[in-house]
Amino acid sequence: MTRLRRDPRAERTAIQVAGAARPRYDRTARRSSSGSGRPRRDPRAERAGQRVVGEARPRFDLSQVIRVEGPVIADTQPRATTAPAPPKILIVEDPAFLVAVVPDAPGGRLSAHDRQVLGAARALAGREGAVALLTLGACEGPGPAGADRWIRLDDGTEAYDPAGRAARIAAALNGLKPRHILFPESLDGGDLARRVAVRMGEPLFTNAEVVAANGLVRPAKGRRVEQRIAPGLLTTVAPDAVADYAGPPREARPVAVETEAASPAKLRILAAARVPADPATVPLALAEFVASAGNGITDLDTFRTLVAALRATPGASRVLCDAGLMPRHTQVGASGTVLAATCYFALGISGAPQHLQGVAGCEHVVAVNTDLHAAMIERAGLAIVQDAQIVMPALLRLLAQETGETP
Amino acid sequence: MKIAVLLSAGRHPVSGAAVLPRMEAQAIRLAAGLGEAIGLHAGPDAAAVREALGLGLARIEHVAIPEGGDPVPALIARLAALAPDLVLAGRRGQGGAESGIVPYALADALDLLLIPDVIAVTSGDGAGTLTLDQSLGRGALRRVSLRGPVLATVHPDAPPPLAYAYGRARRGSIDGLGSAPTLTAGPDMAVEERPYRRRPKLVKGAPTGGSAAERLKAATGESGSAAKGRLLVEPDPEEAAREILAYLRQIGVLAASSGASSDASTPTP
Ligand SMILES: Cc1cc2nc3c(=O)[nH]c(=O)nc-3n(C[C@H](O)[C@H](O)[C@H](O)COP(=O)(O)OP(=O)(O)OC[C@H]3O[C@@H](n4cnc5c(N)ncnc54)[C@H](O)[C@@H]3O)c2cc1C
Ligand SMILES: Nc1ncnc2c1ncn2[C@@H]1O[C@H](COP(=O)(O)O)[C@@H](O)[C@H]1O
Repeated sequence: MTRLRRDPRAERTAIQVAGAARPRYDRTARRSSSGSGRPRRDPRAERAGQRVVGEARPRFDLSQVIRVEGPVIADTQPRATTAPAPPKILIVEDPAFLVAVVPDAPGGRLSAHDRQVLGAARALAGREGAVALLTLGACEGPGPAGADRWIRLDDGTEAYDPAGRAARIAAALNGLKPRHILFPESLDGGDLARRVAVRMGEPLFTNAEVVAANGLVRPAKGRRVEQRIAPGLLTTVAPDAVADYAGPPREARPVAVETEAASPAKLRILAAARVPADPATVPLALAEFVASAGNGITDLDTFRTLVAALRATPGASRVLCDAGLMPRHTQVGASGTVLAATCYFALGISGAPQHLQGVAGCEHVVAVNTDLHAAMIERAGLAIVQDAQIVMPALLRLLAQETGETP
Repeated sequence: MKIAVLLSAGRHPVSGAAVLPRMEAQAIRLAAGLGEAIGLHAGPDAAAVREALGLGLARIEHVAIPEGGDPVPALIARLAALAPDLVLAGRRGQGGAESGIVPYALADALDLLLIPDVIAVTSGDGAGTLTLDQSLGRGALRRVSLRGPVLATVHPDAPPPLAYAYGRARRGSIDGLGSAPTLTAGPDMAVEERPYRRRPKLVKGAPTGGSAAERLKAATGESGSAAKGRLLVEPDPEEAAREILAYLRQIGVLAASSGASSDASTPTP
């Protein structure tokens, strides 16, 4: 009358799944042989059974109650991830109204500020409206940034003629008849917006920090008050105030507008030449591209040659400045300069919090460091774990080779 | 050369006290390097711009307009009579709507050439020509030579204003020019005013939707460029150099060389 004695070890080896590197056990097998006889629920498998296939985001059909009796192990195997389907392009066929955006698009690329303005325009357009991007010359990727229509005026002459440019854009806008027109409140965009406003004889709501269909808000009187208004025709949008468009890409259908040919203005501008900033002397806070040396760099002469060859502005970590190896005004960080650069190139810098504070605003970071676990490596968009002392000469060689190839 | 500097009644951004806006003080300095300049103010009270006398102007003309009136017609009338070769203004006012539209309205009405964001003015080689340095941001400039008359707005990167001199302020004079006949209201927008509310700063790369965990990640810099960053461990130095240059070209901070491979110059989508 004795009950069979259980041997847990033997039971476990019986249900061990063969082949797995880590010991794994199929506990569903056990219940068929022993136990209370009541099927054991497996919530995970049930959940997986409810999953709607073929969607990138997990979606579940909760109306289905599935009792999965099969072995659990089969489900926990990594499933082949289906390649994400190309995102659907949103099309607004017959918009109720248009929201026009005139970006700066320096060099044919939308700037971060332009993208924010497109995001603001998208918020104003809502479901019924369409966002029309109006550019002079080429522009990259208007669709993903949120444009439904794209009006491309030809570039015109290269000569600096802001009044003529404003006249052509105003003429195109008159042809387009949008409900709202948005500009970035940048140096160029702000100038253009004011010229267009004066030309159209319409009031301009400048430097809007909130853009929504129910109202625009701007600071005034030295930021002591804010002014709110229902969206009007002309608005400029402050930088870093409105989020980019984040939805699926839009169509950016090319549209043509007829504009009467502007009469050539009297040419009073005799010459205009761009004088690029000298990266060696531009203040660190204004620099576009900063290359910085830290305590990991011992060969500062090579570093200086490299900085000149890359046409970057030199920076340094506090250790080098304290040691007198680099001038104090090159110090990047909390007690140095906070950068507004597009790209930061850190050589042999560990990335102390005080240093990273100075780099917080940089969009792209490239780091070279021997330590895989340095904070700078973690922050970087391109991180290279290698001795900076040998990467610097390699960079110089490569640059010299390229200039040698192209005389 | 006849120079007019447009002076507005500003308010200090912190204390709210009446001051001359800094950019107009910088404009006075730019004018002082070129010749005799007069100030021009349209407003209810000339005392608002008295400070400009101490900063380098010898004479200010004041056109009285009623409180809340539009200064543009009064300024247009006076500037048309003066016909200066160079008009300097601030790029934005200070303490009002700060829209910076006044210079544009003047340039349009008087058919003046308008050059914004100027940081230096020198007289050019030919008679009646000027060379202006215009700030393009990040230390870059555009050097524009032109034939006047021109209206230029001053950028904050221009040289700092002259020091205030008490004696000069005592010697200078403010001439009232009578008042503009009628009250013309400015281009009015029905604005509703309330105390300023600071809004949270936009976190770069933060998803607008997404879970709280994702937003936290974005705020602490763990997502964005760091999350999708490339990591090369112990690469060949030549390989590392190629990667770095390709990356720098891709984001557009390094000029592409024609010898560079084609994938290096393709921009990010
Ligand atoms: C109040 C306060 C304010 C501060 N303010 C600032 C500030 O404004 N700016 C600032 O920079 N610091 C500041 N600091 C100092 C900061 O805390 C760090 O000490 C400093 O940033 C470290 O500099 P580093 O990364 O160059 O040096 P280290 O921390 O010594 O790092 C050197 C790095 O180089 C790497 N390395 C070594 N050899 C090589 C090689 N051959 N090739 C590649 N990599 C190599 C190492 O792995 C290491 O990661 C401040 C500190 C305090 C207390
Ligand atoms: N009432 C005024 N009198 C003279 N100049 C003015 C007046 N208002 C504005 N300005 C000029 O126009 C610039 C821009 O002002 P605003 O358009 O008010 O931002 C100012 O910096 C001044 O140079």
